[in-house]
Amino acid sequence: MFYVALRILLYDKVRSMITLLGVVFAVGLIFNQLGTFLGLMETSSVIIDHTPGDIWITSKNSKNFDFSQPFPEYMYNHVLSETNVESAEKLIVAWALIKQKEGGTEQIEIVGYNPERGVGGPWEMKQGDTKQLNNGNFAIIDESAMKRLGNIKVGDYRDIMWRRLQIVGISSGVKSFTTAPIVFTSYKLAQNLVGYIGPDNTVFVVAKIKQGTSLEDTVERLKSNLKGVDVYTKAEFSYKTRRYWAIETGVGFSFLLTIIISFLVGMLIVGQTIYNSTMEHIKEFGTLKAIGASNFEIYKIIFSQAIINALLGYVVSLVITMLTVKLYDTIGMVMVVRWWVNLLVLALTLIMCSTAAFVSIRRIKKIDPAILFRG
Amino acid sequence: MAYPIETKDLTKIYKEGRIEVTAVHEADVTLQEGEVVGLFGPSGSGKTTLLSILGCILRPTAGTLSIYGNDVGSLDEGALPAIRKKYISFIFQGFNLFPALTAYENVLLGLRMKGMVGKNAEKRATTMLNEVGLGDRMHFLPKDMSGGQRQRVAVARALSADSPIILADEPTGNLDFANGRKVMEILKQLAAEQNRCVVVATHDNRIEDIFDRTIYMEDGKICRIKRSSP
Repeated sequence: MFYVALRILLYDKVRSMITLLGVVFAVGLIFNQLGTFLGLMETSSVIIDHTPGDIWITSKNSKNFDFSQPFPEYMYNHVLSETNVESAEKLIVAWALIKQKEGGTEQIEIVGYNPERGVGGPWEMKQGDTKQLNNGNFAIIDESAMKRLGNIKVGDYRDIMWRRLQIVGISSGVKSFTTAPIVFTSYKLAQNLVGYIGPDNTVFVVAKIKQGTSLEDTVERLKSNLKGVDVYTKAEFSYKTRRYWAIETGVGFSFLLTIIISFLVGMLIVGQTIYNSTMEHIKEFGTLKAIGASNFEIYKIIFSQAIINALLGYVVSLVITMLTVKLYDTIGMVMVVRWWVNLLVLALTLIMCSTAAFVSIRRIKKIDPAILFRG
Repeated sequence: MAYPIETKDLTKIYKEGRIEVTAVHEADVTLQEGEVVGLFGPSGSGKTTLLSILGCILRPTAGTLSIYGNDVGSLDEGALPAIRKKYISFIFQGFNLFPALTAYENVLLGLRMKGMVGKNAEKRATTMLNEVGLGDRMHFLPKDMSGGQRQRVAVARALSADSPIILADEPTGNLDFANGRKVMEILKQLAAEQNRCVVVATHDNRIEDIFDRTIYMEDGKICRIKRSSP
């Protein structure tokens, strides 16, 4: 039956091409939206996920990584005094302005950390050395920022918050969900640059617990001992940040809506073309029924058409998606396509096309072979 | 001995709103193996309705229909495809061949629907297409064949399965006289050789001499039966 379905599809070349384009469009859009969404989710918590440390202490009711408020630095000492904590580091994450070479300003996100310990700093350097940040007014900028800030080289100077900083390194892979370029400085410099932080405040404390101690217990003890701040495990804070961007901002819903619409559009296109094809062959199918074919035999032909459309459309979409991933990379965006995304989209494509075939199935079920006697 | 087809007081009444139309009225027919029967009558005489009932596609309103001794009237709707699969094949005026499939593939698909697959089916399809004179056109698509050739493919499809009953509705309706006659002669020859029972609904008087028996219908009633002289 698969062969018969294939022959019917190959015979109706124009229609098959339209169906294929419809499937490619729908599946490509699903891939794109899902991949972009996952990419955004990954970038939204990229620094948390790459920062070594088990526990994040934030200001009270912080909703995410990017918009946390400062809290008193002395909390850092309280964290260190917790017996299960092996080490802790302070981290500044704040919004700032950078002056463009040709004039004008761009908003950036400054991450101030202790370069000696590396906690909260870049995890992959393309050029330069993070240790140099300690020596004065220096910054490391991520390569993804070049699109927004122009071609910056190590040794260049840039004005950040009206202070001239020298670029001493280029990091890689630190893309911000907010699309604002991320600039790393030493902790003290970040504290000084961003006035609203204040000299005695920090934005995060990241703690590492001693080997063999319970993470949950330590979090609970910190929660009861530290007032005016929130305490999360790394996984919790990562999830909280992703959840904020995905659900509370409505971004996730808009992606989901596009995926649903793509699914429905694909189903409509496939359903419409398979239905038209079925109607065109209704007398042939009727003849098969008249000579004793069961409905099931004919369903197999219809379903096979749907499955062929699904598989072909999926493969073409996958190729286009892989090319899109590279394109995204060149424009500084992240699109995530993992094996499970491929499987999920394949399943969605098969469901989409099979469901579309049901309209035709219903029609076949109702074929009255008596129509064959009407000329 | 069970006949291929036997009817008694077979009646079909269509209801259109409050109006009842009797399409077939108390038809008594007994058809035998190896016999080619013509069903004649003007449009609306009931011959197509009778053919549909004989083919287990329509159910009669009253009377009995027996296919090789199986009382079809006592069977439920779901059992009819099995009766058709075992005993009946059809030939239609419009050929009803899949345009995407070659002559050979169309016959093969018909066989598959009858439950015959594999090498036997392939051999059977080839044999039948040779028998209807299309050995050199086996791998042609219907669009590349004449109307007569297409109808011969339909004949091959109908005869390739071992269905003992062949029902044909206006098989020459879309063909010129020469092609129509050729198709009918092939059908008659193969039916006689293979001992099939063939019923042909037609109003093509030019092929009347082909039939062993001719049934004339008018207003749903069988008004005359004529046996051809041996």
